[in-house]
Amino acid sequence: MTASLVIVAVGALVAGSAGLVGSFLVLRRMTMLGDAISHAVLPGIALGFLFTGSRAAPIMVLGAALFGLLTTWLVQALQRAGVQEDAGMGVTFTALFALGVVLISAFAGRVHLDLEHVLYGEIAFAPWDLWLVGDVSLGPRALWTMGAIFVLDLVAVLLFFKELKICAFDPETASAQGINVTAFHYLLMTLVSITTVGAFDAVGAILVVAMLVLPGATAYLLTDRLSVMLALAVGIGVLASVLGYLLARATDTPVAGAMAVAGGAVFAVTFVIRLLRQRRRRA
Amino acid sequence: MLRRLRLGLALLALGIAVVTAGCATGQAGTAAGDRIPVVATTGMVADLARNIGGDRVAVTALMGPGVDPHLFKASEGDIARLQQARIIFYNGLHLEGRMGDILVKMAREKPTVAVAERIPEERLLITEDGVEDPHIWFDVSLWMEAAAVVRDSLVQLDPEGASTYRQNAEAYLAELKGLDEWARAELATIPVGRRVLVTAHDAFGYFGRAYDIEVAGLQGISTATEYGLADLQQMIDLLVEREIKAVFIESSVPRSSIEALVEGAAARGHQVSIGGELFSDAMGPEGTPEGTYVGMIRHNVRAIVEALR
Repeated sequence: MTASLVIVAVGALVAGSAGLVGSFLVLRRMTMLGDAISHAVLPGIALGFLFTGSRAAPIMVLGAALFGLLTTWLVQALQRAGVQEDAGMGVTFTALFALGVVLISAFAGRVHLDLEHVLYGEIAFAPWDLWLVGDVSLGPRALWTMGAIFVLDLVAVLLFFKELKICAFDPETASAQGINVTAFHYLLMTLVSITTVGAFDAVGAILVVAMLVLPGATAYLLTDRLSVMLALAVGIGVLASVLGYLLARATDTPVAGAMAVAGGAVFAVTFVIRLLRQRRRRA
Repeated sequence: MLRRLRLGLALLALGIAVVTAGCATGQAGTAAGDRIPVVATTGMVADLARNIGGDRVAVTALMGPGVDPHLFKASEGDIARLQQARIIFYNGLHLEGRMGDILVKMAREKPTVAVAERIPEERLLITEDGVEDPHIWFDVSLWMEAAAVVRDSLVQLDPEGASTYRQNAEAYLAELKGLDEWARAELATIPVGRRVLVTAHDAFGYFGRAYDIEVAGLQGISTATEYGLADLQQMIDLLVEREIKAVFIESSVPRSSIEALVEGAAARGHQVSIGGELFSDAMGPEGTPEGTYVGMIRHNVRAIVEALR
């Protein structure tokens, strides 16, 4: 498989996974959760280093994953306790990020310990970041991790489609029907944090933060049906990855950034078309 | 109707995509002729490869002038550069972060060489937190070890050019030896009490050890950590008590942290000047004297001597 194909495939898997779970975040007005997680995992890598003295990627990812879960759960718990969604996210990620800064300054000021350096992967290098078992290569690691995460998200959404849908649109009716709304909210939050941290490791922060918002928000403009919205979000995510890769190729720029730009462009085009259509209908 | 419009747009986008892809593949060829394509991560490592490889190699540095290696982002073109390279040189000691892990894995495909690999452990600086300081290029004698690593790797890759590489390396090592002696002699002209280098981040540990200068950095090794208020206060105390005349700015670190020091000292009635810009993690622009390793070291030494003497 050529390097370009691996990169586009990894981008598409990230965008597809994020598009799926991100659609629910759009409905719940929590799309900035990805950005929140990208800051809130800092104490995770700090503690990972303090406990092990190592900056190896698996330890950093584990620390980040724990704090990713903690972030989403805290946001959910605060929301349940009556704090507004955006305030809950703001409180959680600023407090955790600040904790990370304090921990690093106090205990690891002379070590190279920052998210860019030890946690975020780079999609351009995905073709060479092989999964090695002994001396045998099983192909690019990011394809495996993001593939597994995509399947996990897809299975969870298919399996609990009805519950996730009613919990997102109408939590009160859901509880009245005997659905454990809290459990499904936590399920969604868990999927979001696994997807986000997995993508940090595979491709860095910008791509997943963008793809949690853009495909879902674009699909939301095009349809009123959740099933269609989810399918569109995945499709739009994949389209953005392909277009973004070509943009990066034409301009010799970073790939993840270009994919996010392409996602923004797809949203903008959709938005304008929709606006023109509404005008015409009114006229 | 609308559905058709949407479909049409999608097809159009796909069409553009395919055409662009076709054009782009056509462009990807080597401009280097029959030279051996070599990729290096930092400008300093690239400079080593150029000096030793000479006309037999075409060296590309992934990180341009002024780029902080800790914040480097690969571009799409870097993928082709890495693919076409026959050998890849990097600094090592975790300077390149996670890219270093990937370069280790790439060694399955082609030689990837950390130029710091042969420096004996006892010559490496270990920071308070127990990790190795990667900024080895500021001790010229350590960089000579790195030069030897590049020479031997090129000889192994391209045995036909062995004599060229050995000759180039011999000449370059002699130049570095001269540079090392010159730097030591120049810096020795600063009165011992005033030999304190205050900069924005701890890139100069090896420099200080090699040339007998006390180094005080405001930030940690990582350019992303914040300095604490206590750090700032301690540093201002140091400036006032030791009557240090100048502090320095670094090419790849923002000015503001050093400016805070100057203001802090001024508030206590001690005038500190900014002694110019030092190159730390990246060299100057290509084509200028500071765009080479030797020129960069000379620039730093001159700036320090002038400001502190």
